[in-house]
Amino acid sequence: MGAKLRVRSMIYVAGEPVPFFWPMRAFIHHNPLHGFEHLPFDQAVEKGTRLFHGRGYLPRVEYQRYLADGQVNRQALESGVRRFVETQPALPFDLTDWLMAELAQHERPVAVELTLAGADEVYAALQGDESPAVTEIATDALAAELRETLLRGRPLYEVADALYGTAIGQELDEQVIRACLDFFDEGQSIWTMPNRERGFFRAWLDVAGKDVRRTLADLMRRAPDGGDDDPESVIALVFAEFGVPEDVWLSYVTQELARLHGWAGFIRWRSNAGHYYWEQRFPGDLVDYVAVRMLLALTLLRRRSNGKLPVTVGALADAIEADPFEFYLRREFYGAGPFLPMAHRLEDTLLRGNRTHIAAVFAEYRAGKRRFEAERQADRLRHFADRSGLGDVLGRLGRDDLSVLLDSLRAFRAHEGMIWLRAMEASAIGGLLQGISLQPPAPRDKRPFAKALFCIDTRSERLRRNLESVGDYETYGIAGFFGVPVSFMELGKGSENHLCPVLLTPKNLVIEMTASGARDEAAFSALGKAMHELKESVLTPFVTVEAIGLLFGFDMVGKTMLPTGYHRWRDRLHEEKPPTHLVIDKLSREQADSIVRAVQRAVIVKAVEQEFNLAPERTTDDIVRELREAALDHQGGAPAFIAAFGLNEARAAAFIARLRDVYRINQAFAQFQLERLGRIGFSLEEQTGFVLQALRSVGLTDGFSRFILLVGHGSSSENNPYESALDCGACGGSHGLVSARVLAQMANKPEVRRRLRAKGIDIPDDAWFVPALHNTTTDEVRLHDLALLPPSHLVYLDRVRNGLAAASRLCAQERLPGLDPQAQGLDPAGAYRSARRNAMDWSQVRPEWGLSRNAYFIIGRRALTRSKTLDGRAFLHSYDYRVDHKRRLLENILTGPLVVGQWINMEHYFSTVDNERFGSGSKVYHNVAGRFGVMSGNLSDLRTGLPAQTVLDGGRPYHQPMRLITVIEAPFDHAVQAVESVAVVKRLVRNGWVRLLIVDPETSMVCLYDGGEWRRRVHAEDHFQELCGL
Amino acid sequence: MTLLGYLVVALFLPLFPISMLFNRLYARVGTLRARVFLLLVWPQLGLLVLAELPGQPPTWVVHWAVVTACFYAFRAVALRDLTLWIAYMATSAWSLLWAMALFAPGDMLLVLQALAFSAPFVLLAWLASRIELLFGAAYAGTCGGLGQTAPRLSVLLVFSILAAVGTPLFPGFFALLATTANLLPVLPGAALVMLTAWFLWAWAGAQMTRGLVVGPAADEPKPDLGLAATLPPGVLLAVLAVAGVTSLGYLT
Repeated sequence: MGAKLRVRSMIYVAGEPVPFFWPMRAFIHHNPLHGFEHLPFDQAVEKGTRLFHGRGYLPRVEYQRYLADGQVNRQALESGVRRFVETQPALPFDLTDWLMAELAQHERPVAVELTLAGADEVYAALQGDESPAVTEIATDALAAELRETLLRGRPLYEVADALYGTAIGQELDEQVIRACLDFFDEGQSIWTMPNRERGFFRAWLDVAGKDVRRTLADLMRRAPDGGDDDPESVIALVFAEFGVPEDVWLSYVTQELARLHGWAGFIRWRSNAGHYYWEQRFPGDLVDYVAVRMLLALTLLRRRSNGKLPVTVGALADAIEADPFEFYLRREFYGAGPFLPMAHRLEDTLLRGNRTHIAAVFAEYRAGKRRFEAERQADRLRHFADRSGLGDVLGRLGRDDLSVLLDSLRAFRAHEGMIWLRAMEASAIGGLLQGISLQPPAPRDKRPFAKALFCIDTRSERLRRNLESVGDYETYGIAGFFGVPVSFMELGKGSENHLCPVLLTPKNLVIEMTASGARDEAAFSALGKAMHELKESVLTPFVTVEAIGLLFGFDMVGKTMLPTGYHRWRDRLHEEKPPTHLVIDKLSREQADSIVRAVQRAVIVKAVEQEFNLAPERTTDDIVRELREAALDHQGGAPAFIAAFGLNEARAAAFIARLRDVYRINQAFAQFQLERLGRIGFSLEEQTGFVLQALRSVGLTDGFSRFILLVGHGSSSENNPYESALDCGACGGSHGLVSARVLAQMANKPEVRRRLRAKGIDIPDDAWFVPALHNTTTDEVRLHDLALLPPSHLVYLDRVRNGLAAASRLCAQERLPGLDPQAQGLDPAGAYRSARRNAMDWSQVRPEWGLSRNAYFIIGRRALTRSKTLDGRAFLHSYDYRVDHKRRLLENILTGPLVVGQWINMEHYFSTVDNERFGSGSKVYHNVAGRFGVMSGNLSDLRTGLPAQTVLDGGRPYHQPMRLITVIEAPFDHAVQAVESVAVVKRLVRNGWVRLLIVDPETSMVCLYDGGEWRRRVHAEDHFQELCGL
Repeated sequence: MTLLGYLVVALFLPLFPISMLFNRLYARVGTLRARVFLLLVWPQLGLLVLAELPGQPPTWVVHWAVVTACFYAFRAVALRDLTLWIAYMATSAWSLLWAMALFAPGDMLLVLQALAFSAPFVLLAWLASRIELLFGAAYAGTCGGLGQTAPRLSVLLVFSILAAVGTPLFPGFFALLATTANLLPVLPGAALVMLTAWFLWAWAGAQMTRGLVVGPAADEPKPDLGLAATLPPGVLLAVLAVAGVTSLGYLT
């Protein structure tokens, strides 16, 4: 048991660097390097990119474009370079000039990677001399170096691939992906893997090939205690078979998981999601996954080596020891990538396997590669110096100075990305500070016509600004779930959906109900299922195409040629969702009991009908009551039931037992139902608390208008697996309308308002909270629950609608040229129509830019940024420190919205700097996998990040990858104490994952946290450079 | 004397193992000019001598030739060095000229067919030299991703390989088609081996294309061909395609 626990805990720890991957239905933005957030940003990038084989910063050429566009601050760049140069040994010239010339003018770094050549060889190449004689590496040292680089904590099949070109890793990945697709499928496949309820490893083992089972049997036969076939034991046995020492298991498994980090992240999330339906039915965790991988790896290694290759750590170490030259050449040819002019010679030599010949080629190869590297480096230096006018400097350099220069240039490569990034952020900080206003808003003599609470989402900024410009509107920003964590059960759905940031777990359940009659959903879903099966099974597609293919052709033509008109026509065919009510009030004990009783009675009537084939009218209320009491053990028998149906005692007793066991009319289940019912709704106290917190957190405590709009947001697009990525992150990747409806319903309740009044917030009787949905793809804002609107408000409704419509059109006009350059110059109505077409076009890979280009998170009053156009780049969270003496509201904002904002920001950052590795590549090649993710092509890792169409434009970054620049408007001490008291945010700030600015309105100071210290300056446009340490 | 003549022809219309001489020579020759010269002249010398020999080549030589073609095509599948690939594929193609010699209505057509076989290899030799200049060697799998970084060069490379492996439109296709059709009733075994060699060419071509054109690009961007450098080989490929289509009537 102890050993199994050790393996399990080791895998738990090994999986921590792998980020969670949530199902695509509710896309959750996440930081791909979340597991490294305990490290400073630059170190985390270095480690994370090494583990995931990705890139942490943009290529230099992209930063150079930003520099040319003025989006990189040149002084900040120079300052960063100078700081780096101060850490380097002195040179007879100013290295800063050299590096600045390199950064500004040269696309490629001057320093090349030198694996063999040293400064002496480069110096000789520069001078045109013969390379100096070099003492070749000693055999022992070579063997030790090979052992260290090849065998230390690296999956063994990777070593085999790097030494023999066996490509086992690729085959292993493909087989594991197939196994994952089969096991984790959520209804996409018609033929599913059998026995999935037994868990991933066991279910896979049942269908695995004979050679896998033979390998397992062999392992167990040779195990000291007879072996066990549970996944933990299998992992330990395979490690023992490989001869991997226990102290490197952790890093070994981490690397295994990082190979398919999408699948590993999904399985890791799934096994942690106790409420997830599919996990409950078919459990699978990383231990299963690692066991599958390792057993398959061992099988493939044995199959491929055929007993001829060393496939244990010990055997490989011995082989390296015996012939390090051969293994060096093998690593060069199959692993590292050979020195190309000798590539064929190398291959030929290795195939021949003559040791004398290998030794000769080894010496020749190293000499050739060394010379090549030296000449390449010398050429690069010469070319750079000539182009930059630094030829004299290079010409005067002595051998030692050249060595220092090369070391510095190589060291600079590791720091360069961070220097560019900071310079770009300095420019963005400067741009923001130049537009903010610390002046308090002028006092008003009358309340605004309407106030509107929008989600903090960057896409709300444009709409808010335009709404404020078209009328007497005041807007606020709040996390899109409006501070109310809700578990929601939609009308006609049987599962719950969490409408809150994934950091929270909602306690309260809200149910959607309708007074209209039930729709015939069953017919629709049966038809849908039949169509799916016809399309997806093995033979029927051939018949389906012949029989009803033409109908699909009609659909295709309509969607392609006339998307707007065709969709309008199709929508008419579908019955509109009926008006619904949300059950948000808690049930009393009596109400809950009554519901349980009613359900039990209905079940008993149905049971009698089914078991005895009798019409329901024959089951009277008395009989039902008697049966219920008997099933619940409140009475001994059911004499009236026996008499009415002419049964004997035994038959009646058997039926009552079935009622208990099969129909679950028993005490335990009744208690369970009561507990479930207890989750429905919010108590009055909870409702008051949530409304109070929502209003206070945005500083809305007085001056309530006649209309207070609660605007959630969502998106609509066709043929887009990433649709939920465009919805509200604060609502767990769903749209925000339900959250808006819940808060509005609470806030409109007289009893809640009475209690609020007692707490100092007086909402006048004529103020009404109206939920609305902002469709971010079309910019349309639609009001909801208007049937509940008091008659006194109806006369003003047109004005609200007109204001919203005008803002929507202006917003579309502003936004659309970014999507389609030809939309430049469109009038607002034309732009609005184009935006609506985008939402209906099934060939549109980019219906909107989503949260791309996000850069700022501003926590403060609207007046701070009202006069500045932020181009949809800022998360705007309203906050008034004057109503938050205990800093609780600020801490809440930092804990939830800011952390989610940082995840979104980092998701965009890494998807931009390396779209293939951290993003999900082009949407064009995506296929839905298992109904929970996408793959590129028909077999790949789950694509975890954002697609190229979301962050890149024509292959170049559209999103400007920067860390989130966070601004808090509050007195300095107030803000600092709040940050310090939220551990996760303190860590993010101190490790540089967010750039934090505090704007103190009382002292007019602006403070920037940078490099472990606070820099404070009086807010003024010309003080920005001092603030950034320039 | 005739046997000696056939031995000489076997050197230039390569038959295994004498074919090794050509391959060794081609690998040794370092300059592009010399390689182009070899590719154009080598089979012509063979045809010249063959024309002087009395009668038609014996059937055992034809069998030997198609087996040689198959053997080299099979070897080319596993080759990653483009220069060697050219030599092996040329050897494979030229050895089939023995079979074509059985049915060619005139010497000139055979000369043109040999030229049509050689022309794509000449283009490939030029492209290989360009890639060697950029990377140090034209080695599939290690200097891949040319499709992304050098699209013009890649287009020429792909079409040259297609021409070399006897894809429709190019003359090699029609020559092979006609020879197979003629050979099948006379020497069905040899015809099947020849078809196998043809199939292996396609496989070898696909492998080489995959190793050079697709896949991840090199870290350092490499310069593509200019338009002026792309046009002449492009025109030559177009001429080959036209020649292939118009020569169809002669061959069937």
